[in-house]
Amino acid sequence: MIRFQGLTKRYGRLTAVRDLTLEVRPGEVVALLGPNGAGKTTALRCLATLLAPSAGTVTVFGADAVREPLEVRRRIAFLAASMGLYERLSARELVTYFGRLHGMEGPALEERVDALVDLFGIGEFRDRWCGRLSTGQRQRVSLARALVHDPPVLILDEPTLGLDVLSGRTIHDFISRERARGKAVLFSTHQMEEVDLLADRVGVLRRGELVAQGTPQELLEITGATNLVRAFLALVGDSEGGEAA
Amino acid sequence: MSPWWIVFTKELRETVRDRRTLLMMVVVPVLLYPVLLVVGEQILLFGQRRLESYAAPVAIVGEAPTELLALVDSSGTLRRTTLSQKPEEALRADAVAAVVVLGPQVEGEDTRSVTLLYDATSDQSLRGRREASRVLDAWRDTLLARRLEARGLSGSFARPVAVADSSVARPEEVGGYTLGRILPLLLVVITLLGAFYPAIDLAAGEKERGTLETLLTAPVPPGAVVIGKFVTVALIGIVAAALNLGSMLLTFQTGVLQIASQVGLDVSLPVGSVVVIFLTLIPLAVLFGALFLGLAVRSSSFKEAQNALTPVYMVVLIPAMLPLFPGIAFTPLMALVPVAGVTFFFRDLMGGDARLFTGLLVLASTALYAVGALIFAARAFGSEAVLFGGDEEGAEVTPGPWWSAMVRRGRAGRVPDPRTAVFFVAGVAVLFFWLGITLQVHLGERGLLASEWLLLFVPALLFVRLAGFDFRGTLSLRRPSGSGVLGALLLVAGATPLAWGIGWVQTFFLPIPWEILEGLEKLVTAETPGRLAWLLLLLAVTPAVCEEVVFRGVLLGGTRSLAPWRVVLLNGLVFGAFHLSFETAIRFLPTAWLGIVIAWAVLKTGSIWVGSLMHLLNNGTIVLLASVPALQALISDSNAPPPLWVMPLAVMSLYGGVRILASLPEVGDVRQPLTSSEDS
Repeated sequence: MIRFQGLTKRYGRLTAVRDLTLEVRPGEVVALLGPNGAGKTTALRCLATLLAPSAGTVTVFGADAVREPLEVRRRIAFLAASMGLYERLSARELVTYFGRLHGMEGPALEERVDALVDLFGIGEFRDRWCGRLSTGQRQRVSLARALVHDPPVLILDEPTLGLDVLSGRTIHDFISRERARGKAVLFSTHQMEEVDLLADRVGVLRRGELVAQGTPQELLEITGATNLVRAFLALVGDSEGGEAA
Repeated sequence: MSPWWIVFTKELRETVRDRRTLLMMVVVPVLLYPVLLVVGEQILLFGQRRLESYAAPVAIVGEAPTELLALVDSSGTLRRTTLSQKPEEALRADAVAAVVVLGPQVEGEDTRSVTLLYDATSDQSLRGRREASRVLDAWRDTLLARRLEARGLSGSFARPVAVADSSVARPEEVGGYTLGRILPLLLVVITLLGAFYPAIDLAAGEKERGTLETLLTAPVPPGAVVIGKFVTVALIGIVAAALNLGSMLLTFQTGVLQIASQVGLDVSLPVGSVVVIFLTLIPLAVLFGALFLGLAVRSSSFKEAQNALTPVYMVVLIPAMLPLFPGIAFTPLMALVPVAGVTFFFRDLMGGDARLFTGLLVLASTALYAVGALIFAARAFGSEAVLFGGDEEGAEVTPGPWWSAMVRRGRAGRVPDPRTAVFFVAGVAVLFFWLGITLQVHLGERGLLASEWLLLFVPALLFVRLAGFDFRGTLSLRRPSGSGVLGALLLVAGATPLAWGIGWVQTFFLPIPWEILEGLEKLVTAETPGRLAWLLLLLAVTPAVCEEVVFRGVLLGGTRSLAPWRVVLLNGLVFGAFHLSFETAIRFLPTAWLGIVIAWAVLKTGSIWVGSLMHLLNNGTIVLLASVPALQALISDSNAPPPLWVMPLAVMSLYGGVRILASLPEVGDVRQPLTSSEDS
């Protein structure tokens, strides 16, 4: 389970996230919505132990992101929009590398890598350098990399940014499948269809503050809007995302 | 398997797959250098042979005896020609290689004047001069022999002393000495270049590609990531240097270079020396690797890191080149200078006169610097501000080029960011260096006065005004509290004698040339009250206003967002560097010290007036000490330390000042960000 408890992150005089309290339970998909600069990436980075909270706590199945960062990292998979692939490693080498970083080795690691290669259809380009793969192929390698240690929590920062419909669908299928396997999934997005399709619950951030959370249906009811786009606009107003100083 | 090893093996695999690294590591040392050396030598020899393949045309002006003409004709290297234009024009047009102008043979005089004209910028003319000189010498010797014979004197009569020189150095020592002039610099450069691109790629490149973020969400301690990367970079640097060393030695020792064998150079190096050189390269590669990694990770892209590291590369070359300059000795102190110690040690090793003690000093100090650089790199990798662009002190990001802030108007309440402030000071320093020196050369002391006001004070005010920065915030225009002034007075009362002491200690390592000391003394000494008033205006009041506005004003105001120790250190170092010139390197340490002290006082009090007061008192004290007869006894010898009784008082005064200023309440932040950062 992911738990943000009063998370605040400041950069000097700027507050990127203010007093965020949110939970994501196993088998649940939660979407973080918000305009640019609303604090989505900062919140996800705090969860991924990349940033230290200025106040409040973030825990993953009881492990505190500040006190036990390595334990938290063992329990999460972090997928950034940039995909984060090494250009001069082959697809297989890359997945194996991250498996090793997660303490896996020997036949167990090889079996796991082979399974992921099959699962994501990487076989035909497994030995090609990642720098020479198409965007869709890169996306699949990136998913295999994130899942190599089979963590209970998935964090995805704008996972479909810049992807075509087919590649986007691969991500959607992936999220649905992992939810079915009991994973807690937290992702940020700007795509309302994605939220509609995948999210069990939605958190809306505006200038670093969580202004609403609930199921998509609940958001519609709160705002009285007829669709999520209107509901979103009603909640964030004309915010341009600049945080309060 | 240890996490750092996993990171290292992966980084190494990726690095050797990078064409740039392969180029630097293998292609350049193994192929390019030998090929360049051999081809370069062949081109040189070809040019020489071509030049010597025909007789140089020489013109003789004046009445030439047949004896001389015969010598020219029989030389085989000269060909007589006539001039159809003036000698200078003929030489410039390469129509002749040299012109021999014979003066008239005056009756009753034993010496006839001969002028040899040539063009020092032409290879052909230089050769013509050399050959013509040889012929003229032969002619002179013939005439002399004839005169001696006529007087019944032997040939040795005109040569009372026969001078011959002979070097005691063996050929291999000469070879080692020659090699020691070239190879150390080359080795350092190659080690540096070997580490350069991998460091950028593994730090800034990884940030740019977004892989660092992914890597740091794996359960690997940041220290393991740094070590894995750093070992890769250092290893690449070492391998590149080792391959170069081997390649160069093979090129020299296999005798493929004809020039070396022609001049009898034996450039073989003992195996022991090669091993020691290689061992010394290890801490050097570690130093470069860690330094570059720590710097590169602060950039957000490969290109940005390349731009940021290139000046560092140039700066590192300066100490590496020191052994090339004559007269700089390899002292134990020099052994402690980063990079310079290594190149000096290499030189001595190659020349066969390396000493164990200095060698150990070089190894130990380089290892120490390497550890420091490693800590620096580890801290950079552990800082979320560095890795993800946040800023614990303020997340301002100035969009566009740094100078764009200067053309914005109407943004009162703002102060420059650190980069803008540093660029401004750099610009002012360049202006001061070139224009200021010109003014001082032409106008003397009035030029100094003008350059302080026109090139420091006025630009600083214009900068703040035109860029729309807040005067009060940028220049720390606050009224200091009584405690602040008291603390500052105590501080400067302690700092001034200590600066004197620092300058004195420095003379042990960097002796002050007597003429410079005399010049400085003359500058600050006044013989009349009028002169004293002028000197106080010129050397105390003016710097206290003009220099303070730039350094404790714009620079300190712009860098206030950094950690306090960085603000103060940067201010002191820049202040010290500003006072550097070719003649006054000796002023760096004392001036930097004073800069640090004054900057800290201004930072604590938030008031530039305190800085001006301290500056005024420091400089004024120096002028008064030099000019007032009653005080002159204190500095009867400028090269002497401050009187012993002064030092305890100075330390106590400094301590009191520090205590008072440290106890002052925090100065409120007058700064406002230029822009807001964006989080997505």
